[in-house]
Amino acid sequence: MSLRTVRWAGVVLGFLGVALTILFHWQVFFWVPTEASMGIVQRIFYIHLPAAWVGFFAFGIVALCSAVYLWLGEEKLDHAARAAAEGGMIFTTIVLTSGPLWARLAWGTWWTWEPRLTLTLLLWFIYLGYFLVRSSTDNLDRGRKFAAVVGVVGALNIPLIHMSVYWFRSLHPQPVVARVDGPQLHPDMATTVFTALGAWTLVFLSLFLFRYAAARLEAYADRVEAARLNPTRSATPEEVMAP
Amino acid sequence: MREYLGQIRAIAAKDLRVEFRTKERIAAMGAFVVLTAILFNYAVDRTVVHPRELAAGMIWIVISLAGLLGLGRTFELEKEDGALDGLLVAPVPRDALYLGKVVANTVLLAGVTALTVAVFALFFQVRLPGNPLPLIGVLLTGTVGFVALGTLFSGITAGTRMGDTLLPILLFPLLVPLITFGAAATADLLAGLSPGESAYSLRVLAAFTLVALTAGVGLFRFIVED
Repeated sequence: MSLRTVRWAGVVLGFLGVALTILFHWQVFFWVPTEASMGIVQRIFYIHLPAAWVGFFAFGIVALCSAVYLWLGEEKLDHAARAAAEGGMIFTTIVLTSGPLWARLAWGTWWTWEPRLTLTLLLWFIYLGYFLVRSSTDNLDRGRKFAAVVGVVGALNIPLIHMSVYWFRSLHPQPVVARVDGPQLHPDMATTVFTALGAWTLVFLSLFLFRYAAARLEAYADRVEAARLNPTRSATPEEVMAP
Repeated sequence: MREYLGQIRAIAAKDLRVEFRTKERIAAMGAFVVLTAILFNYAVDRTVVHPRELAAGMIWIVISLAGLLGLGRTFELEKEDGALDGLLVAPVPRDALYLGKVVANTVLLAGVTALTVAVFALFFQVRLPGNPLPLIGVLLTGTVGFVALGTLFSGITAGTRMGDTLLPILLFPLLVPLITFGAAATADLLAGLSPGESAYSLRVLAAFTLVALTAGVGLFRFIVED
């Protein structure tokens, strides 16, 4: 896929995502009925849940791209993994800030060692390690490999972490949307949550594509710079190849 | 297969020989365990809670921290004077190199684990179960799992500017299953429950160790390749 296509796809998805984001905020504030037992604070849920889904979805992309990167050694896959990780970190941060705000009013506490909270917090730290490893290596190529290994090992461990955090009793509301017998929500609430999910998936994909395109450009700039600094050696076609 | 095992043994023997001559890591980890136990004694208000009641969790925390201290230096020797390059040109597959390091680290950390349990038994009157085999099984499985992940990540941190400081950030989020089920099984066994009670925890620990070892064997070659 050419870089131009990537950027255009990013622009289109970005506009759609922002439009849907505005729409779902209107739904959240003016349209959706107020939940009976929790009251107005329940509306945070429409921001919280889609962010959580997107955060985990992003980590799936990170793990997949990292594994295939290690296998094939294709630089583009590492750009994709890093782009997804940055997007994932943003959405995981949204989950971790919106959750406690809701919990303070609904549960009376900012934080509790509840499985889904713990899992999200640990995921956030795995992302942090992923970035720290990458940025603290002098050799770019090694940093990529290190980060990919961290991404893959993190993903392999997620099921076990999931198991252990669930082992403690759960206080978090049980799933109301992703259930085998269909969503247990008022239809307007379901519409709102799916609008929000669509909006943030599009925003994430748009950010992902822009970040990916920027990473490709950075890599290209590095190659050109390296060729310029070493004029005695004629640059290989790969180095001056446009991104 | 025989050759492969021989290679693993050679790497492990080299590391252990260096360790037994210098005694750097074992002394550091051993002193760390005893000193942490002393500090722990003063950190707990005995009128509220007896240290024995927290023993199972504390044993695992101390093992993790002491292990971190030792594992961080797994590749310390190789970092100097390009010794890693020397090791890499040896006709040994990368995964044998990894497993050799894991074996050497496991021997060290198993010693530290035994010391930790002994210190807690001595200082805090933790009663050890009459049949020590289940407890040894739990502690050893956990130790191997910890070392398997720690050796892989210490290979990574050795190649970064941040070095050892990065190790806990990478390692600790992934240790949650180990601490959860390791401490649970240890608490059950120390409380004198039958080993059958902790069978589930032991199975999860074994699964964790297996995943960690598989990941290490499969991924180690990517972090030393150059």
